[in-house]
Amino acid sequence: MELESLKTIWDQLEPQPTPETDGQLILALLQKKSRGPVARMRRNLIRELLLIIVTYIPVILFYLVEFEGRLSAISGLLFLLGLFFGGYYYRKMMLLKEMQCVSCMVRSNLARHVETLKKYTRFYLRAGTLIIPFTAIYVYTILHWKLPRASGMQLYHRLSPAPWWTNSIYWLLFLAPLTIAIYYLNAWYINRLYGRHIKKLQELLREMDEE
Amino acid sequence: MQTASVLYPDLQEAFIHLVNQHRGILHKVCRLYCITEPDRQDLFQEIIVQLWRSYPSFRGDAKFSTWLYRIALNTAISDLRKQHRRITLTDPGLLPAELQDIQYSGEKEEQLQLLYEAINRLTEVEKALTMLYLDDKSYQEMEEILGISQNNLRVKMNRIKDKLRKMTKEAAYGIGKP
Repeated sequence: MELESLKTIWDQLEPQPTPETDGQLILALLQKKSRGPVARMRRNLIRELLLIIVTYIPVILFYLVEFEGRLSAISGLLFLLGLFFGGYYYRKMMLLKEMQCVSCMVRSNLARHVETLKKYTRFYLRAGTLIIPFTAIYVYTILHWKLPRASGMQLYHRLSPAPWWTNSIYWLLFLAPLTIAIYYLNAWYINRLYGRHIKKLQELLREMDEE
Repeated sequence: MQTASVLYPDLQEAFIHLVNQHRGILHKVCRLYCITEPDRQDLFQEIIVQLWRSYPSFRGDAKFSTWLYRIALNTAISDLRKQHRRITLTDPGLLPAELQDIQYSGEKEEQLQLLYEAINRLTEVEKALTMLYLDDKSYQEMEEILGISQNNLRVKMNRIKDKLRKMTKEAAYGIGKP
């Protein structure tokens, strides 16, 4: 079978015009939201951001006002975390925005999609890993400086042969493997979410480039 | 584009008119990249949404059909969520409904069935090339749509033709069927 000979039959596959029905159908479709992967990622991101705002604000206010403001450091921590999340969502949103250029040539759109998706996953991985030591160190600082010392603690430290910084070392010893574990867990999860998609897009790109 | 905007001053009306004129392209893309009717409808909807979003930035530098091909193919190719449903077509009973409805002579129908079966075994990029070739696009237009150099397109097209020839020959002799 030759492709050339099928051109005529292929041409006849064109549906016959029914302007009214098709016009109405297109009009109805214009009212619908995109169900593409990027649009869905953006919608999920907005939902996550709203969830953070709705849960963080009351808790921040609670610790700021209650206990005569003695636990306001927790509000500070949550506020900082909130800022971190703000930056995190902004960056992700920007990356999603530049991920596709559907009216560009197919090859350049694919290249752009792969590149931005890789940036997106790298950022996801770094931010998702850094949040753990960041929070842990802040919590440690609050516990160390803000909470009242138990009675006899000073005497214990004076009599104990271990220097004052031993506790910090224990924290770091606990934190290092935890951060590494979180890194690998995140890497696995991100790969599960986007790995196959990126691989497939890369294959397509390679196929387009090879001669 | 100009004619459409003169005839239809309303942006939406002009858009609908233009898309309606070229909707054959959209149907063909959906038919090539999806097997089941719900998948085809999903893809059709997604392409229309993407076209409408990009329409305000369409300045008429390229032909409307070139612009439309780009968006349709970009949407079909990069939206790979439903790969599992876009499986290889081997059962003639699963052929697109439009194809089953068309009354062709026996020989033509058989040729088209073989063509569809073969095309469904091609990669996404090869499908795009085959479609543009069957739509009688020049290599220059293909380059404008796909962004692949004309020399590379020629090499690829020859390879696809050989591949399709081989596949349809195999299918005709019942090779490779379960």
